[in-house]
Amino acid sequence: MLVIINNSGESNYRSKKNKLFLGLVILLSLLTISPVVLIIYKLIAKGIHQINLSFFTETAPDTLAAMTAINNGEIIPGGILNGITGTLFMVTLASFMAIPIGIMIGIFLYENTEKKYAAIIRDISDIMQGIPSIVLGLIAYLWIVKNVTNGFSALAGAVALTIMMLPLIIRSTEETLKMIPQSIKEAGFALGVPYHKVMLRVLIPSSLSGLLTGILLAISRVLGETAPLLLTALGSPIVNLNIDKPTSAVPLLIWDFYNDPNMVDLIWSSSLFLMGFVLTLNLISKRIAAKRT
Amino acid sequence: MVFSLVSGSIPVFNEYGFKFIFSSAWNPTEGREEYGALSFIAGTVITSIFALIICIPLAFATSLFIGEYFRGKWFAKGLGTMIDLLAGVPSIVYGLWGFYVLRPFIVDLGLSTQGYGIFTSGLILAIMIIPYATSISTEIISMVPNDLKEAAYSLGSTKLEVIFNVIVPTARSGIFASFILAFGRALGETMAITMLIGNTNAIPKGLFDTGNTMASVIANQFGEADGLKLSALIAIGLLLFVITALINAAGKFIIKKFA
Amino acid sequence: MITSCGNTEQKADSSSSGKKVALTAAGATFPLPYYNLVFKNYTKTQGTLVTYGGIGSGGGIRSLKDRVVDFGATDAFLSDKKAADMPAKVIHIPTCLGAVVVAYNLPGLEEIKLSNELLEAIFMGEITNWSDAKIKAENPGANFPTLDITFVHRSDGSGTTYIFSDYMSKISSKWETEVGRGKSLKWPVGMGAKGNPGVAGTIKQTIGAIGYIGSEYAFAQKIPYAKIKNSSGNFIEPSIESISASANVEIPADTRVMLTNSSDPYAYPISGFTWIILYKEQSYNGRSLAQAEGTVNFLNWLIDKEAQAIAPLVHYAPLPKKAVERAKEILKSTTYSGRPILKQ
Repeated sequence: MLVIINNSGESNYRSKKNKLFLGLVILLSLLTISPVVLIIYKLIAKGIHQINLSFFTETAPDTLAAMTAINNGEIIPGGILNGITGTLFMVTLASFMAIPIGIMIGIFLYENTEKKYAAIIRDISDIMQGIPSIVLGLIAYLWIVKNVTNGFSALAGAVALTIMMLPLIIRSTEETLKMIPQSIKEAGFALGVPYHKVMLRVLIPSSLSGLLTGILLAISRVLGETAPLLLTALGSPIVNLNIDKPTSAVPLLIWDFYNDPNMVDLIWSSSLFLMGFVLTLNLISKRIAAKRT
Repeated sequence: MVFSLVSGSIPVFNEYGFKFIFSSAWNPTEGREEYGALSFIAGTVITSIFALIICIPLAFATSLFIGEYFRGKWFAKGLGTMIDLLAGVPSIVYGLWGFYVLRPFIVDLGLSTQGYGIFTSGLILAIMIIPYATSISTEIISMVPNDLKEAAYSLGSTKLEVIFNVIVPTARSGIFASFILAFGRALGETMAITMLIGNTNAIPKGLFDTGNTMASVIANQFGEADGLKLSALIAIGLLLFVITALINAAGKFIIKKFA
Repeated sequence: MITSCGNTEQKADSSSSGKKVALTAAGATFPLPYYNLVFKNYTKTQGTLVTYGGIGSGGGIRSLKDRVVDFGATDAFLSDKKAADMPAKVIHIPTCLGAVVVAYNLPGLEEIKLSNELLEAIFMGEITNWSDAKIKAENPGANFPTLDITFVHRSDGSGTTYIFSDYMSKISSKWETEVGRGKSLKWPVGMGAKGNPGVAGTIKQTIGAIGYIGSEYAFAQKIPYAKIKNSSGNFIEPSIESISASANVEIPADTRVMLTNSSDPYAYPISGFTWIILYKEQSYNGRSLAQAEGTVNFLNWLIDKEAQAIAPLVHYAPLPKKAVERAKEILKSTTYSGRPILKQ
C-alpha cells in the first residue's frame, strides 16, 4: 500500500505536491461557494426592502394592490403568511412520514448490504432521485387527490414531498451507518443489549450528524419545489391548516408572483425567506449534532 | 409507480413502437402529431454529464476542505453552511439568477450570442447539484477513523498521500453514492434548465447550441397535454427512469472494476 | 402501492351539508392575476372562499374531468372530440378577453406596423433582418437597423400560443399547412422561453428580438408592441377597447368561438375569450345542493357588472354586453338533479 521513500529529493517533491494540492483544494472550494455569495447578494439587493412585519403576518396581496403600490413608488403591501404556514404544515407532515420510513429503510439496507433485494431497493431509491418532480407530483395526484381526498389537499402535497425526500434520507442513513466501526455495534451485542436498543442508543446517536445532514438536505430540496405542489396542494388565498383542503406554499406563491406582471418583485423576497429558513434549520441541526458528540 | 408510468406510456409505444426512442421528430400540432424522444435524451445526457464533470472536482475539493484539511475550524463550518444553503435555493431562483446574471455574463464573455444553451444550463446544473455531492461526501470523509490516518502519517505519508491512499479508499462507496445522488438530481431538474436551455426540440450540435431535456419538456408541456401527447410525455418520464437506472448500473460497474 | 387511474367510483360526501361552502378551481395561467383578484374580492364581499390554482388549461380540463374541482378554466374551448371525452356535458362561460401582442426590442423605434404578409414572412423565417425592404415599405420614415431578427416563442404549452397560431393560420395559408394551430407547435425558427415572463425578459435583453406575449403582461410591464392590420385593413394598437371590440361579432349559443381576425373594424385582431368550464348537471360525486348553488351563483357574479368592472383595472378586457347575455343564458341551463339552479 504505502511505500516509504527515504530519498530526500523525492520527499521534497512530495511535500511540494502536497502543498500544491492544498492550494488547489482551497481555490476550488472558494470557487464552489462563489455562486452562493452572488445569489444571496442578488436576493438581498432585490428582496430585502420587501421584508417587514407585514411580510410575515399578512397573506399574499392581489395584483391590483401591487400595481397601485408600484405606480405610487411604494413597496408592495401584504405578505406571504399563507405560503409560510402552508410550507411549514406540509413539510412537517412530509417529515413525519419520510424521516422514520427513510431511516428504517436505510437501516434495513445497512443490515442486509449483501442481499440481492437490498441492492434492488437501493437502486430504486437512487433512480427515484432522478425522476422529475412533476412526475412524482402526478403520482401523488393519482393516488391522493383522485382517490383519497377527492380534491386538491395538503395531504397530497405532503405525500409528493415525502416521495421526494425518501431517496436522500435512505442513502445518507445507509452510508453514514456504514462508516461507524462494526466494533461499537458488536460491543453492544456482547453486553446483551437487545437489537432495537443498540440501534436507538448506539448507532443512531453516533451517526446523528450524518443523519441530520441527509434530513436537512431532503427538507432543503423540497422547500423550493413548485411543480409537484401545483398538481397536489394547488394553493390557497387563506391560511389553511386543514389536511384535506387546498393549501398554499411559499414556492406556489413564487409561481403566482412569477406569472403576475405586477408582483414579480416579490419573488426575490420570498426566495430570501426560503433561504433564511434553510439557514435556520441548518444552524439548529448543527447545534443538535454538536451537543450529542 | 412504475406501473403508473408504464400504463401511461402504452399508447405512444403502440403508435410508434421503438421508433419513439430513436426519432428526433417532435410535432405537437393536432392532426399532424409526431413524437420522438431522441433530442431530449441527447440534451439530458449531455447537460447532466457536463454538470457532473464540473461538479466532481469542486465538490471533492470542498469536502476535503471541510471534512479533512480544516475540519472543525469555524471557517470550514461556515463554508459547510453556505454549501447547505445552495441546496435551499428554489429551482426557480436558480433559473432567474441564471437568466438575469449568468446568461448576460456568458454573452459578455463572447462565448455565445444568446447565452442560452447546453453550456449555461450545465453550469447552473453543476451549481445546483454541488451541495448534494458535497454535504454527503464531507460527512463520509470526516467519519474516516482517525487511527487509520494516524497509522499512515506515522509511516511518513504526506496529507496528499493520506487522502488518496487512506481516505478515498475507505470512503469510496459513500463518495460515489453522493455523486450518484447528485447526478440523479441533475437528470431530473426542470425549472432552471427550462429557463436557460433555449428549448429547441432538436439534438444539440455543440456545447453552445440550444437544446432541450427530458425533464424540461415534461414540465413545459405537461400542463396543456392530453391524449397521445400526454402519453408521449409519460413515456419520456419512463425513459428517464430507465436511463437513470442504466447510468446507475454503469457507475456501479465502473467503481467495481477500477476500485 | 396501488394506483387506479380510471377510478370513477362515486363517494358520498355527507360532511358538506350545513358547512359553509368553499369553492376550488384550477386551470389557465393567463387569467390568473385577474382571477386571484376578483375571487378574493368575492370572498371579501360574499364570504364564500374561492381557491384558484394556475396549473395550465390542460390541467384545468383534467381536474374537471377527474372531478376534483368545482370548475376549471381554459384559454382554448374544448373541441367536440374533447368534450365527448368528458364524463358528462360540459358548458363554457366566457369571463373576460385577452389578446396577444407582438412585442419587439428595437431601440429608438416607438411604433412599428406589421401587415399580415410581414407577420408571415418574419415568423416563417423568410425575412431574417430588420433592414429588409418589405419592413421598410410598410413603415415609411422609420429607421430600421441592419440587425438579425431573433424570434422568441413560448416553450411551454399555452393558450397564448394557441391564439397566436390560430390567427397566423387564418391569415397565412403557408403557416396553416406548415405549422398549424396549437398550444405548442413545431416552430420553423426561433427559440423558446418559459411563460410570458420568460419571453418578455428575453425580448427586453436582446436587441433585435421579436415575440408574442399576453396583452395583460405587455400592458403592465410597458413593453413596446406593434400595430397589427385587422381584417378591415386598419392598423390597430392593442388596447382594452380594441380587444373588447373583437367580441362584437355573432357569438354562437355555446360561446365556443375564436375571436381572432374579428370582422369588427376597430377590433385588435389577435384577441380571444378565456373560459370557465363546469358540468351542466351539478349533482355528481355526492355534491350538495349548497355546493352547486355556490358554484353557479359565484359564476353569475363573475360575469356581472361588479366583477367585469374590475377587469380593465388590471389590463383584462371586459366582456361586451352581448357576450354577457350569452353567458347568462348558459348559466341558466345548469341543473341540480334536473332542476334549474338559478332562480329566474
